[in-house]
Amino acid sequence: MADNSTVESTAAPERKPGKADGRRLRSERTRRLIVEAYMALVRENRQMPTAVQIAERAGYSVRSIFERFPDLDALRLAATDYAIAEGRAQGGLRDLDADRATRVKSQVETRGQGCERWLPLWRVLSANLSESSEELRERIRLVRQLVTMRLEFMFKPELSTLSEGERRKTLLALEAITDYESWGRMRELHGLSFEQACAVWISAIDGLLPPTPASS
Amino acid sequence: MVVLVESPVGVSPVKFALSATSHSTPTRIDGRRLRSERTKQLIIEAFLALLREHQEMPTAVQIAERAGYSVRSIFERFPDLNALRVAATDYSLAQALALAPPRNAEVADRQTRLRSQVETRAHTCERGVALWRVLLRFADQDDTGQLKARVARSRDTTIKRLELMYRQELSTMAADDRQQLLIALEALTDIESWARMRELHALSFEEACDVWVHAIDRLLPPTPAAQSAA
Repeated sequence: MADNSTVESTAAPERKPGKADGRRLRSERTRRLIVEAYMALVRENRQMPTAVQIAERAGYSVRSIFERFPDLDALRLAATDYAIAEGRAQGGLRDLDADRATRVKSQVETRGQGCERWLPLWRVLSANLSESSEELRERIRLVRQLVTMRLEFMFKPELSTLSEGERRKTLLALEAITDYESWGRMRELHGLSFEQACAVWISAIDGLLPPTPASS
Repeated sequence: MVVLVESPVGVSPVKFALSATSHSTPTRIDGRRLRSERTKQLIIEAFLALLREHQEMPTAVQIAERAGYSVRSIFERFPDLNALRVAATDYSLAQALALAPPRNAEVADRQTRLRSQVETRAHTCERGVALWRVLLRFADQDDTGQLKARVARSRDTTIKRLELMYRQELSTMAADDRQQLLIALEALTDIESWARMRELHALSFEEACDVWVHAIDRLLPPTPAAQSAA
């Protein structure tokens, strides 16, 4: 999972295993603290922080930030990698072999928690996408692919009963309904509680999926 | 030249949107005022055309060049670009309503209503995605709250249309279940959901419509027998 994270992957020793030098370790730690400061500010203020804000929050100078990240887009990319790695670690597949109702509930609660945690970062990433780097756009596509792959795993018994065309249509509809912004609207615009929002998704997913085959 | 502007009844929604802020009762306006309204409309149309072409917020210079006016002319009519965004949104919302009236709402056949609602919504999404993205991008920065209000109104209009088109099926549901379903249908038929099908998944207009028709059909409860036989 961690191999999707720049922050995580660069922590791997390049020379002799277990003999990473202190300077490199400190540098990695600094990178991580900067990324964490960035994400904390995004969650609090729901907008892209400035280099000065990030530096203040992380306890480093602005120069330290730009020594490690050539520009704020690179920092945004590192934060995205960090989020993808953490999201995959926290959103591990559970209840794959359970009955339909358990799988639907498990999927919805995991996704709902993910949306609660990552919606502010998602909004910052998605904003001005046309002006973002190709690398960042690729990460956005990756996140969507991961969401769809998870749906495929969790509802494999039901989806396996469909033709390829029908399966694709169903997955596109499931992805649209359980999008980050769909969650955001339920919580912010419609004022639903976490449980009420989950209930909307549970009902919709159950309605979209075909009957579970008897052998499952 | 003196033109009598009647009450909103019978007036094109687009024209009414342009003058709605200044007229609520019949008013006499002269040719100068009419020209000024026309200039506003041309500026808005230039803004919307640039948005559709470049998928990003145009500059005042670009808008002026496209509309054939000076930058000063723009700021004489719109105090800032946010005011232009608000006016362009009102214009587009009125245009969307005018171009996409509810069709087949009274038709008993479920498939006809599904196809009609989806195709109408899809055309609105095709035309409106660029402006929608600008609205969402600038809504948080708009201290007047006008853009957020329009985003909310647009979503409300979408939900009301869903309620109208699927009244037969929704009438069979308990209030809470109906509310849940409408929220899910609104999420499904969101503009960005449409844009992802077209841009990310490269679906044709018809293929994307099929995804929505199929999903809405699955999500709606059965059509009540008495009405489906009507």
